[in-house]
Amino acid sequence: MSRDTVDVAETDTSVERRVRARRAGRGALFVVMLGVAVVMLYPFWVMIVDSLKSENQFLAGHGFSWSSWRTLSSTIPVLQEVISSTIICAVSILLILAVGLPAGFAFAKLKFRASGVIFLGIVSAMMVPLQAILMPEFVNITRLGLTGGYTGAVLVYAALGTPFSVFLFATYFRGVPDELIEAGIVDGLGYVGALWRLIVPIAIPAIATVTVLQFIQIWDDLLVGLLFIQNTSERPITVGLAVLAAGRTTSIPALMAGSLLSALPAMIVYLVFQRYLVKGLTMGIDR
Amino acid sequence: MPRLTLRRRRQLAGAVFALPALVLVLGLIGLPIGQAVYYSFTQWDGLTSTWIGPSTWTQAFHNPNLWTALQNNAWLLLAVPFALGFPLLIAMLLHQRVVGWKVFRSIYFLPTAISWVVLGLVAERFFAYQGTLNSLLHVVGLAHVNTNMLGYESTALSALGITFVFTMIGTNTMLFLTGLATLDTSLEEAARIDGAGRWRIFRHITLPHLSRFIQLAFVMTVIALFSALFSLIFVMTGGGPGYATTTMEFLIYQTGFAQGDFGTAALYGLILFVLTAIVGIIQLRLIGSDE
Repeated sequence: MSRDTVDVAETDTSVERRVRARRAGRGALFVVMLGVAVVMLYPFWVMIVDSLKSENQFLAGHGFSWSSWRTLSSTIPVLQEVISSTIICAVSILLILAVGLPAGFAFAKLKFRASGVIFLGIVSAMMVPLQAILMPEFVNITRLGLTGGYTGAVLVYAALGTPFSVFLFATYFRGVPDELIEAGIVDGLGYVGALWRLIVPIAIPAIATVTVLQFIQIWDDLLVGLLFIQNTSERPITVGLAVLAAGRTTSIPALMAGSLLSALPAMIVYLVFQRYLVKGLTMGIDR
Repeated sequence: MPRLTLRRRRQLAGAVFALPALVLVLGLIGLPIGQAVYYSFTQWDGLTSTWIGPSTWTQAFHNPNLWTALQNNAWLLLAVPFALGFPLLIAMLLHQRVVGWKVFRSIYFLPTAISWVVLGLVAERFFAYQGTLNSLLHVVGLAHVNTNMLGYESTALSALGITFVFTMIGTNTMLFLTGLATLDTSLEEAARIDGAGRWRIFRHITLPHLSRFIQLAFVMTVIALFSALFSLIFVMTGGGPGYATTTMEFLIYQTGFAQGDFGTAALYGLILFVLTAIVGIIQLRLIGSDE
């Protein structure tokens, strides 16, 4: 039956029926989405419920108390570890920005001899997993005596984060008109001045994207912190949790309380800056 | 100082700006690759190395642990379709924009912010003998099926794979949702008016449009599978039981740091490097064929 020949009365009921079917469909969809939400929230539920038990209550399988939270700082040195994580994240990200932004700018706007090849080389380093170069890296950093403090870990994080940030900044700066830079140079700003006064201010969205992505990456990482920070007193929180968990002597409620605490900063950053994260992830396909 | 032309000055500025990034990447990524090649031919304990020659490689390939690890990686590849399929479905659901879809979106992405160390800990609770999985089985009347997936060689790898699928859902859903947002809705509308069914619209309009996003998600997922499982394995199984969940990346760590055999670990690292490079080249090919 073609659309043109449908008479008016029939159209009415079919529209009604379609609206009803649509509503039912939407309702079913909502229920399915609710189900997915339950699955995705499961980790948080486990962490909350298990952390609200004492060790005995956990073993017995019932009862709730704040005891794991109250004794948390004596079970796991959370404060110290959160401070370590914060320092490592902050310094690494600053280094990645300080190195990546000028390089991205150079590759996009100040091309020099062989800059295309060098750019390709740096960007392809993105594909090298740390495990592939772990042994030489570890020996180099140890020989340089950098595993004592945060320096070794910060350098490794910076090196691992730089290729992506160079790529992202270069892609971003390609959209900046050449005239802007030329005008700055003619005005006597010089290249460093132009970079600082003209380029950095317009790069804020790209800076935000790099910062958010790297923050989550570094805050959540285990391998680098585990191997390149020798002193247990300088351990970041993720490493502290992993080592205790692998040791299998720490009570699960305490571990869950520590986990929840460690997850909070990254979750907040995530929820607040979600759109920068999406931008960073899809960089290069949109353009 | 001789006056340089504007062009020369610009090039010089570019080279200077690029130098720190180049030094950092060369020193901490480029150089170690070269060193790994050299050390893979030596017996090396981290302090002294003795040149052995190519026989280190033939010896390595005779080590059954290497084959077990490669096999484990190969088996885990079976998780990739799920790590792409579920997010595609979820992204399609979100794309329908039912009431509250933005809240759902935030909830679905939330686990992405959490460390895989923490997710591994939670997964351990899920698969534990007294964990959620057995409670669920109990509820649906399968009380007699008491699982302890992480405790047995036959099931531990599957548990790891399931956890991996869960950890990838957020990132891949985000990618696909971004892809769907760039889809011109009038195209779908036109197809619907022309009488195309839902499946045909999905198959002939939505899926082709998403192909680049699916490629990217595929590469990211495979790379994560080869190089980001360390946290999960470290927390959940320590590579065991036996070598049941020892993947290449974990074998490198074990060989180097538990057995102190730096030379063989460097060699394994190169194998992992080649594997990821192959995935990268496939991606370049795919992108190249598009343009």
